[in-house]
Amino acid sequence: MNTAQAGTLESMDCLVTVSQTAPGVGVKIKITGSSAVRFKSAMEKKTAEVIASMGVKDIDVSIQDNGALDIVLGARVEAAVKRMMGGDK
Amino acid sequence: MAKNALGREIPDFIEGYGKTKLFQGAFALKPEEGYRAGGKIRCVDSTCTDKRVRDIKAAITASGLKSGMTVSFHHHLRNGDFVVNMVIDACAEMGIKNLTLFPTALFGVHKKLIEHIKSGVISRIMGSVNGPIGQLVSEGGMDVPVVLRSHGGRPRAVVSGDVHIDVAFIAAPTADQYGNICGTQGKSACGSLGYAFTDAQYADCVVAVTDNIQPYPAAPVSISQLSVDIVVEVPSIGDPAGIVSGTTQVTRDPLRLLIAKYASELIEASPYFKEGISFQTGAGGIPLAVTAFMREAMIKKGIKGSFGLGGITGYFVELLKEGLVERLMDVQSFDLEAVRSIGENPRHIEISADWYANPWNSGAAVNMLDVVILGATEVDTNFNANVNTEADGALLHGIGGHQDTAAGAKLTIIAQPLLRGRIPCVTDSVYSVTTPGEVIDAIVTEYGITINPRRKDLLDACSAVKGFPLVPMEELVSRAHKMSGPTDPVETEDRIIGVVEWRDGTVIDVVHKLKK
Amino acid sequence: MRRTMLYLPGNNPNMLTRGYLFGSDGLILDLEDAVAMSEKDTARILVQHFLKQGEFGDCEVTVRINGIDTEYWKDDLAAVVPFPALHGIRAPKVDDATTVKIIDEELSIIEDKNGIPVGQTKIFCLLETAKGIWNAYDIASASPRVAAIIPGGEDLTADLKTSRSYEGTELEWARRMMVFAARAAGVDPLDTVFPRVTDDAGLRKEMEFVKQLGFAGKSVIHPNQIPIIHDVFKPTELEITKALKIVEAAKDAARRGQGAVTVDGRMVDIPVVKRAEYTLIRAGLLEVK
Repeated sequence: MNTAQAGTLESMDCLVTVSQTAPGVGVKIKITGSSAVRFKSAMEKKTAEVIASMGVKDIDVSIQDNGALDIVLGARVEAAVKRMMGGDK
Repeated sequence: MAKNALGREIPDFIEGYGKTKLFQGAFALKPEEGYRAGGKIRCVDSTCTDKRVRDIKAAITASGLKSGMTVSFHHHLRNGDFVVNMVIDACAEMGIKNLTLFPTALFGVHKKLIEHIKSGVISRIMGSVNGPIGQLVSEGGMDVPVVLRSHGGRPRAVVSGDVHIDVAFIAAPTADQYGNICGTQGKSACGSLGYAFTDAQYADCVVAVTDNIQPYPAAPVSISQLSVDIVVEVPSIGDPAGIVSGTTQVTRDPLRLLIAKYASELIEASPYFKEGISFQTGAGGIPLAVTAFMREAMIKKGIKGSFGLGGITGYFVELLKEGLVERLMDVQSFDLEAVRSIGENPRHIEISADWYANPWNSGAAVNMLDVVILGATEVDTNFNANVNTEADGALLHGIGGHQDTAAGAKLTIIAQPLLRGRIPCVTDSVYSVTTPGEVIDAIVTEYGITINPRRKDLLDACSAVKGFPLVPMEELVSRAHKMSGPTDPVETEDRIIGVVEWRDGTVIDVVHKLKK
Repeated sequence: MRRTMLYLPGNNPNMLTRGYLFGSDGLILDLEDAVAMSEKDTARILVQHFLKQGEFGDCEVTVRINGIDTEYWKDDLAAVVPFPALHGIRAPKVDDATTVKIIDEELSIIEDKNGIPVGQTKIFCLLETAKGIWNAYDIASASPRVAAIIPGGEDLTADLKTSRSYEGTELEWARRMMVFAARAAGVDPLDTVFPRVTDDAGLRKEMEFVKQLGFAGKSVIHPNQIPIIHDVFKPTELEITKALKIVEAAKDAARRGQGAVTVDGRMVDIPVVKRAEYTLIRAGLLEVK
């Protein structure tokens, strides 16, 4: 299974871990951390959007958040998925 | 169920609190005709020349403290305090239960109380609940709601008889055997004992707990032998490292400095920036930096202030030494410099919480205040501020002097980053109200200065300054929405776990139990 | 105006979000030294998202790319150039005119591909070696894209086989050279960073010196340095009064169709008017044209 990470646990950042899953499993998103209580829906939506735009269908996404805005979350998810797809470049 | 003046739903009766009085407006409620409450009349055997007892348990026995009574504490020893835990531990061992805890504030060091809450030694808290105790209460860990009062609302409740203190335990950095105490000397020196004064005056019994006995008469005296019934010596009342911090440094954090700079620009543009200005800025990063910027501005414009109020830091002491303020009125000394100064400088005076902030006396110090800088976890488009709950709805902070200084000062500024991580401090409607927008004049964030439209005079004064960074509320809140995205609601149950009183004793809001 | 250009580490969301709020004239989103080798890809994506959706207020936005001797620089350019928020790129280790031309060509290809007017993206050249300083004029005039030349600090002193001193003696000649080369080529001479972020008095002293040399601005590594630098650039009351008089007189003369005028018994010609206008811009009394 191919796993990759991007981001940090610094303030206003998040650490995104993605793992490729078997075809048909779908997109699974898990969010923990500082904004999780109040922004879970918004963060799930943003994450799903980025993943869909990259054409990925089966993936486990785990986000450890420390206050990332959507703009940062999107960049971190994109970076993690790119790393996952491109090996560990 | 009825709505108060801010449209908050308040039940007529709250289990464990009683009948509610609805908040009607910041200055609407006046006391009924009548007299102040008072403690018991005392008479001491004239042959008694020493009020000391053997230990804490003996003091508790001598005080007549029994299950179901109310005990009070003051918080000048902050996170270094040993006294609250020491007394409650002893009560537990003595089988005393069902106590109402009435502290002026609690700190992280008091998380030990959780076991006593769980075992029923403490059944009720009237006062701020921070950290782990706040979390416990928010999740429904107490049967009766906590009652939150401001530093002025608390003495008002005592003086007017809303709360009767059976026994006040006063941590005393210095005492003599006949009960004269002060806070400026001794190994556990904390400076001002301001919050303890009202308790000493109105409690049925007052116990001074000290680790520094001096020969009679100890001087200087903060609280005198007239109201202290029992003295008990213990090895240590606190950890100096947790009582006072070292010299408070002005922050180098650019975000905080930026916000402070804007706040300072607002003060300078206001009509209050003139000879004799008085201000309260507290010890937080932003307020302290505002003080530093104001200092520069005062020197540049050649003006001098009259007094600094509230919690006093070394930075304020510098202003006093430099003659940039004439007096310091100190209800709580934050650092070593402040402790030293209040002990030495007659122009640095100790004031009680009653004097500081009580709305129902012949005049509190906050009424004389020009400018106050405050924080808040959130502020809404009506400028209502919430300082009690965190973004997740948990009750985590006390009111402090927030309500009182906001109500008293001519210019009340909330200075706060718009975003803490993803969480915005400006919102459509705050989760819980602590202080009404009626007494808040401006919000200062890293995006600029947002003035309450109610203050047209201030708006005009600021608009006259070229390049003044004004940001209308609509713009600020829409920016917050845009950056943070939509929030999920806090999930709560019906049960009320916290009652937030306005300083006059009316209920400004209630806080509900969090859904697990 | 390029009095202050603030470096924002390219992998730091906090600074990328808030960096523009601190009032600098420009920003440098840094993909080079501020980013660890292992994070070049994530920083590039993060910076790209900010160029796409972030806010930068009125700042001139540049990205410092990795050097053309690395494997990253073309990816860096491809990621950032297509976005209108970008005004220019800051190129490190520019040693000669050829380096500028290589970057210029790559920029043209990307601009062309993305429907951006070719030549729009400016180049800010960092001259970080003795060779670069020696070739300063050639570099500054190598392409119309060049907007400024900036001497290196640490790298340059290392190349000179010396070390950075408190007084900056070792950089003095390079700085003078920068001003001459830049002014001769009609680009801005911008100074290197002041590394001691808590030494406010030292910064002020250095800034007064480089301003007197003729520098148009300075690179900034900490937001707290910005107000100090702006303060040094702020004209005095006397300078402002004089400048206002000159600009007024020039306007008046233009209205009456006259060329030269005298103010306070002194001949005022076009360069003097220009300098007066620049004074008013720095004082915030005149909009930048």
